[in-house]
Amino acid sequence: MKNSKKIWGMMVIIMITIFGAAFMPAPKKITVKGSDTMVILAQKWAEVYMKSHPGSVIQVTGGGSGTGISALINGSTDICNSSRPMKQSEMNKLKDRYASLGIEIPCAKDGITIFLNESNPVKELTIKQLSNIFSGKTRNWKELGGPDQDIKLYGRENSSGTYVFFKDNVVKTDYAASCQTLPGTAAVVNAVSKDKYGIGYGGAAYAAGVKHCAVKKDDKSTAYVANAETVKKGQYPITRYLYMYLRNRPTGDTKTYIDWILSPEGQKLVTEIGYFPVK
Amino acid sequence: MARRMVKYLCCEIIKKLKMKKITHFLLFLGIILPLLVLSTNLKAQQIDDLKKEQDTINENVGNLRDKITGIEERIATAEGDLAKLTKIKLSGYIQAQWQHLEASNAYPANLFMIRRARIKFTYEPVQGVVFVLQPDFQPGNITIKDAFAQVNEPWLKTFSLWAGKFNRPNYEVEYSSSSREVPERSRVIRAIYPDERAIGAKLEIAPPNVPLKVQLAIFNGNDGISINNPVYNYGTGKWDNVTSVGQNTDFDNYKDLMGRVTYAFKLGKIGGLTIGAHGYYGQIKANSKDVLNSDYTYDKSLENVGKGVKKNWVGFEAQLYFDFLGGLALKGEYIFGVNSTPGYSGSAKFTSSSTSLKNDTLTLTTLTTTSVNNAPAISRNFNGYYVYLVKNIGKRNQIAVRYDYYNPNTKLSADQIGTAKWDAKVADVTKDSKTMEGSDPVVVTNNQSKTVTVNKLSSGVNDIPYGTWTLGYTYFFDDNIKFMLAYEIPMNKKVGTVDANGNGNVTSSYTVNGDPGVYDYSNVLKQNTLTFRIQVKF
Repeated sequence: MKNSKKIWGMMVIIMITIFGAAFMPAPKKITVKGSDTMVILAQKWAEVYMKSHPGSVIQVTGGGSGTGISALINGSTDICNSSRPMKQSEMNKLKDRYASLGIEIPCAKDGITIFLNESNPVKELTIKQLSNIFSGKTRNWKELGGPDQDIKLYGRENSSGTYVFFKDNVVKTDYAASCQTLPGTAAVVNAVSKDKYGIGYGGAAYAAGVKHCAVKKDDKSTAYVANAETVKKGQYPITRYLYMYLRNRPTGDTKTYIDWILSPEGQKLVTEIGYFPVK
Repeated sequence: MARRMVKYLCCEIIKKLKMKKITHFLLFLGIILPLLVLSTNLKAQQIDDLKKEQDTINENVGNLRDKITGIEERIATAEGDLAKLTKIKLSGYIQAQWQHLEASNAYPANLFMIRRARIKFTYEPVQGVVFVLQPDFQPGNITIKDAFAQVNEPWLKTFSLWAGKFNRPNYEVEYSSSSREVPERSRVIRAIYPDERAIGAKLEIAPPNVPLKVQLAIFNGNDGISINNPVYNYGTGKWDNVTSVGQNTDFDNYKDLMGRVTYAFKLGKIGGLTIGAHGYYGQIKANSKDVLNSDYTYDKSLENVGKGVKKNWVGFEAQLYFDFLGGLALKGEYIFGVNSTPGYSGSAKFTSSSTSLKNDTLTLTTLTTTSVNNAPAISRNFNGYYVYLVKNIGKRNQIAVRYDYYNPNTKLSADQIGTAKWDAKVADVTKDSKTMEGSDPVVVTNNQSKTVTVNKLSSGVNDIPYGTWTLGYTYFFDDNIKFMLAYEIPMNKKVGTVDANGNGNVTSSYTVNGDPGVYDYSNVLKQNTLTFRIQVKF
């Protein structure tokens, strides 16, 4: 009899434990996916936020802006990071699937930097020259005041928002077939740092170990290197917003996280990483 | 002396020591030198071996380099081939469904069917040039839904030119069946845009940073329209209705113009509103001598076979997207205008002869009959609209309610339907032409000619307005699979007049399993449909 009571007592405790565990509010995981350009910034945000908000779990992955937007549409991420605005076709997919236009939140500014090898004597280029370089019309550094050597092009994969933004705003036609595509701006920087005749593009935050090329709108304009001042003043000609996209207006933990990103604390990290705050 | 002795001894010792050293040295030389020589030889041999080994390694490295070069070439070729393949994109979807039909004339009343099974091939050989081919593989019937080339202008990225078979520019037509919240399009859209697609060309203007879209299109205009061409069957002595469906060929010289403009507003954080309008301006060959107005009054007669009848309408649309605890959409469109249905004009001539002898009179009779079968073309004033309310609940659930209305003939009131009819000139005309020859016997040649005219068109089933409620629930299992449960409740307007026995004058008859039945449209008929659909999209 006593044993039976004990067994029943144990079973009740086990059941309570199981059901308790099942119904205990699990820490809300926020998934963030998208832009490789933004991945360092997003990881930093997540790291600092999780430290200051114990119990919160933020999972950050890259893959490119296009991949992030696809993930937002198919429901596999809560927040999409994108280094380009959402295309109309992507917005239509969101409309069709969720009856929503999505929520666009500009969270940082970036100047797309042109990376040159430190030994390269070329210091500045116009947008037109960059277009000719990356479309394959200009193939030798000699044409740009550099050594008589072939230009080696390094760029991003077509799922990248940086790829799309640079194509739409600078190249304005197809990239040259010789442009080697690399997974992430860090890889572009690494390749250019090792290639004396290399040129690449990417987010400003990654530009360590290479030379920043000054860029000017046209022959008559002044050339500027991407930095906080030139980007803020709009002098540097290749600037863009970095965005977060959501399916619907954020609520609960997601809203708290986004509010924090847009707060002075979150925006301070933007500057620390090498981008430029929106506020 | 002693000194000499000591000196001598010392010298001897030294000599001996020297001798020993020399001996040792010689011994050393004797041992070491051969060893050295041997060692040198060994080293030389080792060097030779190493050189040989190096040569082998170099040869192997060379071989490997060649192999790597070969692999690189193969990879380059494969990459080239792969690059070509990446220009081809495949997408598509299959909709399999079970339906329960509540209509009395439905048999079978429940059925499984494949509603759509489409694969879309998109080929983009160079940026901005797209070829699209989309067949629909329904069992026993493969049709081409889309087949067009699209050229996007590369400079302003604003203009694109389409040519081939593609969707007509209209919101519900262009809204993919794979995304639609209910199983089928609204009745008004199905009536004025049968088969959704049409053959023609389109200019699309969509500036990249302006939420404006303009579409201008020109079409053959007969796509999806059934045109009757009756043929006289000499065997049965009756007219057979041969229906021609305007697929891929034009029916007349008239071309139809279409235009659509939309503009999207952003409503801050709340959502967005898109408004737009579209218009259709076209004609279709009357295909008959007679043309009727919407109220079945006579409009034109004779010599209209090759002339055109109007297909003119305009529509106004709006789609509101509102973020209220998740996505919420309110979408609608109102369309009104004139739509025409071609008629037909057929005639057949045949002769019969007979002889009869009475007294001294031989009568030879030849009857030439001309059977004329005319149905007039009719231009009906119509209107229609649809309103969708769509609410997404979480990531996986969606509910939708739609009400759509279509009045195919706004010029007839409910009680006029069934009464209004074309005052057809039904006439059997017989003419005699007798000639007599001889006197014994008298030969009478009686040439008769007869014209039988069958002209019939009265208002009825095709003029009945319908309002339809559709309720839909969709569960998105994942990005590729969704389940839909929908219930469609079409409600006809009560039309016609009722006699003393309670029977209406607008009816249609049917037979189910040999049992005849009659639909009396003076009642609201039960024609509801329950649909359970599974869609797989890739």
